Amino acid sequence: MTEGEILEKLKEAVLNFDEELAEQTARGAIKKDIDPLKAVEQGLVKGLDIIGEKYENDIIFLPELMMAAKTFQSAMKILEPNILEKGQERVKKGIVVFGTVKGDIHKIGKDIVILLLQIAGYEVHDLGEDVDLFSFIENAKKVNTDAIGLSALLTSTLSGQKDVIDVLLQNGLRDKYIVMVGGGAVTPEWAETIGADLYAENAQIAVRKLTETMENKKK
Amino acid sequence: MLSFYEVIDRTLTGPLISDQDYYLKIYVPELNNIIQKYKIKYNPDTPLPSDNELADTVFEAAVDFFSRVGAYCPDTSRRLQFTKEEILQAASEAPSESVFGEGLDRKIMRSRKPDEHTEPWYHCGGGIYTTSESIFMNQVEGLANIKKANSLSIPSSINLKGKDARVRSPQEILSTIKTVTMAREACRRAGRPGLPILNGISTATGPISMFAASHPNFGLRPSDGFLVDSLAELIVDFEALDKVAFYTSIGANIGSTSTPLFGGYNGGAEGNVIVTVVYNLLGILVFRGTYHYNAPLHTKLKVSSTRPLLWVIALANQALHRNAPYPTVNLPYLGGGAGTNFYYYEMAAYHTCVVTSGGNMLSGHPSTAVAPDSILPLDHVLNVEVAEAASKITRKEANLIVLKLLDKYEKQLKNPPEGLTYQECYDVVTGKLTNAGYARSIDRIREELRNIGLSVVKST
Repeated sequence: MTEGEILEKLKEAVLNFDEELAEQTARGAIKKDIDPLKAVEQGLVKGLDIIGEKYENDIIFLPELMMAAKTFQSAMKILEPNILEKGQERVKKGIVVFGTVKGDIHKIGKDIVILLLQIAGYEVHDLGEDVDLFSFIENAKKVNTDAIGLSALLTSTLSGQKDVIDVLLQNGLRDKYIVMVGGGAVTPEWAETIGADLYAENAQIAVRKLTETMENKKK
Repeated sequence: MLSFYEVIDRTLTGPLISDQDYYLKIYVPELNNIIQKYKIKYNPDTPLPSDNELADTVFEAAVDFFSRVGAYCPDTSRRLQFTKEEILQAASEAPSESVFGEGLDRKIMRSRKPDEHTEPWYHCGGGIYTTSESIFMNQVEGLANIKKANSLSIPSSINLKGKDARVRSPQEILSTIKTVTMAREACRRAGRPGLPILNGISTATGPISMFAASHPNFGLRPSDGFLVDSLAELIVDFEALDKVAFYTSIGANIGSTSTPLFGGYNGGAEGNVIVTVVYNLLGILVFRGTYHYNAPLHTKLKVSSTRPLLWVIALANQALHRNAPYPTVNLPYLGGGAGTNFYYYEMAAYHTCVVTSGGNMLSGHPSTAVAPDSILPLDHVLNVEVAEAASKITRKEANLIVLKLLDKYEKQLKNPPEGLTYQECYDVVTGKLTNAGYARSIDRIREELRNIGLSVVKST
């Protein structure tokens, strides 16, 4: 197989959710001494890009997103040690700590945002649901996150988003992190009122807005 | 039917599994298998299908799927399992009629058959609106004044002494009690003290505030309706079972509630139609419901009015009412704001699908353009008129109407218009309609709907 064919196969493996093919082809890429970063960016990630587009157009849904992410991870388990061996590092778009705020146990919306962020190249730390506000702060510090994502579905749990921002302010950490809010009960007005950096109506918008904000911050 | 004690026992004895494994290793693969096995295929040309064989196949597929995956209890990390025989037995014993209300407003909600020309149950008030305390009474009184309304959803008023109640706080208990008390008083003012409230505990998020506000001192009765919901997808948690334990013990109507998510674990239309039926079966068997509250939702658009979701709600109702006559009310989450033509087109498409398929009407809730204080009682009058008109036609006739309605809104669903508030249309002191332009727009819509085949009759 030529390098081009291997890259194409990696893309196909992601598109077909074929973990076995992904692993086999990743091994083949190492054997052929193909630049592992190239295998990731021009093979696997190309597949993920198409998956993202398909999701946006309602051609595929959450299960397929999860399967594509799993296929990607299977190949990464093989490629990542090779990347490190070569002294390289895959450029992450950023690190995000994400969870549903205290009192709220809704999960699917948060899970979709996390998957799309991962597919877009973010390292995401999923704190789960009904997350204690200090857990957001501790984890943000621990992983040196760029952003904190706060999901809330219910009107009466919105205050949990404000609490996290308040505790960041209280500890002089507010400017350190981008705070992103979303979920069924959240409105742009609420996001503005509590001083969130960005509000996302849905998962795709969350990824787009976070990427824009991260880029603006770098400038 | 299995006893409730047996259901509880299965949350304690079923196989242990993590939620991720439940969805990835069981739920999603089995749903795909079932879709293939029963060859269920969404057809965008018939958002309102009239194929009885397809409806029966969907029912069979739902029973099969439910028997393979059961439900998930996050409190014990166990899978509740039921056999096909247990599910079918519950389906055969589903309450086909449920009695609501008191006195002159004591009525029977029925499971209707597809293409049946009886009037549906008219449930007014939409989903859970958030509303300012100052206009709460007028809004509910306005809804109760809708002569044909058989029951109400009441808005949520979480503000207490200038502050919003936090989830599961003492303020939540107090504001839940306040909401219930005000709603009952508003019904009394409308001369309908017996009018049933089917989401009496609109402000409650958990069982503690629900039980507190269910105390008879505050005006709710077993003949009202109490919602017990399953989180998406097929989650049966102890909070839900706590509610079942309590409301069955006081002999109250339980509305089993579900919001299957289009784009979530169920995937697209085919998965969602199967799971929508499963939720109804779960409602009978696990939540011991006397009626079901269907509210499927698109995860990205946050509406129920997309073409595939119209197909889902129509076909799921047909599958259910042909095979397990369990009364349903069907809530449309709509993109357009209150008082917009967009809202009316979506609402008409949804009710036409539901009512011709055997379901009962729940008036439309403006979702993506939702703003506090957006209950406009006249909108809900039109919801009733549309549902009544839909009850006079067949599914085949209705499909053509739905296609015309979709033409009017489908392409703009990503950017629906914002709507009006109560204060912009009504006198906040007297509750009288003051916005003549708004009233005229309703008349124009009535005419437009008549022109496309829905014989909407203006209420007296």
